[in-house]
Amino acid sequence: MNEYGRDPGEHLRSPVTQAALRIQNRIVTAARECLRDAGFTELLLPVIGPVTDPGGRGSKQVDVDFYGHRYKLMTSAILYKQAALLGFDRIFTVAPNVRLEPPETQGTGRHLVEFHQIDVEAAGASGEEVMAVAESVVRHAVSAVVTEGAADLALLGRDPASFVELLTQPFDRVTHSEAVADLRRFGHAQNPDAELDWEGEALLSGKAGRPFFVTGYPKGARGFYDREDDREPGRLRNFDLIAPEAYGELVSGGEREHDYARIVTRMRETAENPAKYGWYLDLVREGIPASAGFGLGLERLTRYVAGLGAVWQASAFPKLAGVVSP
Amino acid sequence: MTGLEARGFPEAAVRERARSGAAAAFPAEDEYGRGLYGAGTAGNRGDELDAVRLVPPVFVPERLEKLIDLGREPGHDDVTLETEIGGFRSELPLYVSAFGSTRAGSSLAVAVSAQAGALGIPMVIGENVVPTSGSRSEADAVRGLTARLLAYTDALPGASGGVVVQQSTEDADAEVWNLVYSAPEAQPLLDSGRLAFELKVGQGAKPGLGGMAIVDSTAATVSTGRYRSADVLRDGRRVLRCATPGTFTEEILRQQIRFMRNNYPRARVWVKLPPGRDVGGAAAVAWAAGADAVTVDGAEGGTGWAPEVALEHLGLPLAECLRRIETGPGCLLVSGRMWEGARVVKALALGARAAGLGRAALLAVDEDAAAGLVRLVSCLRLELQLLVSALGKYSGRALRAEDVWRPGGETVGRIREERDDESVR
Repeated sequence: MNEYGRDPGEHLRSPVTQAALRIQNRIVTAARECLRDAGFTELLLPVIGPVTDPGGRGSKQVDVDFYGHRYKLMTSAILYKQAALLGFDRIFTVAPNVRLEPPETQGTGRHLVEFHQIDVEAAGASGEEVMAVAESVVRHAVSAVVTEGAADLALLGRDPASFVELLTQPFDRVTHSEAVADLRRFGHAQNPDAELDWEGEALLSGKAGRPFFVTGYPKGARGFYDREDDREPGRLRNFDLIAPEAYGELVSGGEREHDYARIVTRMRETAENPAKYGWYLDLVREGIPASAGFGLGLERLTRYVAGLGAVWQASAFPKLAGVVSP
Repeated sequence: MTGLEARGFPEAAVRERARSGAAAAFPAEDEYGRGLYGAGTAGNRGDELDAVRLVPPVFVPERLEKLIDLGREPGHDDVTLETEIGGFRSELPLYVSAFGSTRAGSSLAVAVSAQAGALGIPMVIGENVVPTSGSRSEADAVRGLTARLLAYTDALPGASGGVVVQQSTEDADAEVWNLVYSAPEAQPLLDSGRLAFELKVGQGAKPGLGGMAIVDSTAATVSTGRYRSADVLRDGRRVLRCATPGTFTEEILRQQIRFMRNNYPRARVWVKLPPGRDVGGAAAVAWAAGADAVTVDGAEGGTGWAPEVALEHLGLPLAECLRRIETGPGCLLVSGRMWEGARVVKALALGARAAGLGRAALLAVDEDAAAGLVRLVSCLRLELQLLVSALGKYSGRALRAEDVWRPGGETVGRIREERDDESVR
């Protein structure tokens, strides 16, 4: 199937869907084990709230009428993750997120309107420390699939040899500036002040043999919560983990801003109105811990491990931008 | 007609143009052969920009170039007015600027959209279109916005034009840009590269202040505390709703523009500046951050509700803004009392790429909802062609500061030799 058939029964009866979802189940189980072993507590975080991650790249938020107040479905758990550190030092959640992506994302193979993230946050941690956690979660999950899910990989025609590098070698790190320079060398006109565009990311991803980190995105590319580098203003202390074989981004994370004045200023720089973040800013003003964390796209990791053509194949009830579906 | 009026604006003349089109560029036809005409006949009071004169040269090398090109003496109808405005092709160096969010602006908006589309000139949809209005829901307001998009798109004749959607600080709560970027109605414009988003940093009529509207005291935007309100009318029913101007520093402006480019890669980025004392520096920051156009609203501008003290005392006049802005290759768009050709030509000579029609567009459509703006623009087109050809030039892009003279002798703007223009080469 190249295109989502819109028949949920047909999709669920497909051996491809079933194998992909069994692989996803192994990934979630392995990620939970790995994070618990590393001292993380699994918290169940809200699905609705007065405000959510403003997101980026033109995706819309979903309004919920909360007894006459306009609430939002969570586009990510970031605000609650930071707040939750007031009670726990190391937390994770497997969170559903909803982003009404622009219609142009329908055919990218990598966007779902409704998706899940394994969302991790650690008080006092550095970017390097949580990158190590992300690397370990991915390696642990892939290892579990390769050892326990060989039959499913075989059914999907996914060669386990694709993961030899991932399982045996550390993930490389390139800076955003280096990635931009590489892309320009390959003849791709990447804007140095923005997110790596999808085409550019796929180009870099296609040349890699195992996942790699891109670090230090420019300010204009990300939300107000990613911490700006004091030594290099305009540069954020954040990262993405990119899968090889042109599967693209799996993880986004970084160190977080936690200082009140810096957060308010960054909100303005990202065209946000601080007034709507009342509860969050009240907590920040009282003091929240410095932290770092990341969100791992569960359906995207499943797609990569299972070798699927599109990310919707890794969802039991996929929702694509603009496609009316159950 | 809706009873719309524009105090202190040449309303009668604009309405005449909306009825008669290009004929209104001349004195009344029945005076032909009887009346004697000279300067002062039109009785313009005006501001500094109105006082500036357009000064044709005796020697006209660019007319010689055109003569060689055509093999005959060129006339005013050989003047090309087509230009590029903030990433869009436009038939004329004109665009329709954003209207205030009062009822005066919104009730005529769909008719304005259809006529701007038919003319192939860009149109800006103002801030607060979504969160405005006393009783309507936000969903209704979004439908109002998409109705304008559809009216404009349906009327588009060719590859020219484009729609620009403003967002102010409060609009960010309503996610106006996100709504438009994924709206099915906007896709034809996005697909043809004819959608832009305009970051509203300020406005001409009340620089330093946010948008203002009189709304029902029960309006959701007020009762939920999203906007401040003041009980200035004291009638127990209505309040003055005040948006904030938004907080900007150089870095905030730079990053907001980069954020727009990152989030909406398929849309053009416009920035609207108020006539502030640092307008030159702000325009430079905006262009350097990648803005496709900077629009500056002179203190003469405005269609919305504003306090008298702001109208009379806040902000630089457009002529001074033009003096303070160094355009270079950047696209500068200006507005403020634009309604006839001379003011537009002076603005172009002083560095602007195009001029915005605000009150004039509204009055024209109020006069005739089917063709008022089209007729007003046909009159402007004739005036622009006459004036540009009188200056010995044959493209709107060829105008320079050399083409104007200010009483007192000092040149109003810097001579900009470096401006690009193919017709001169």
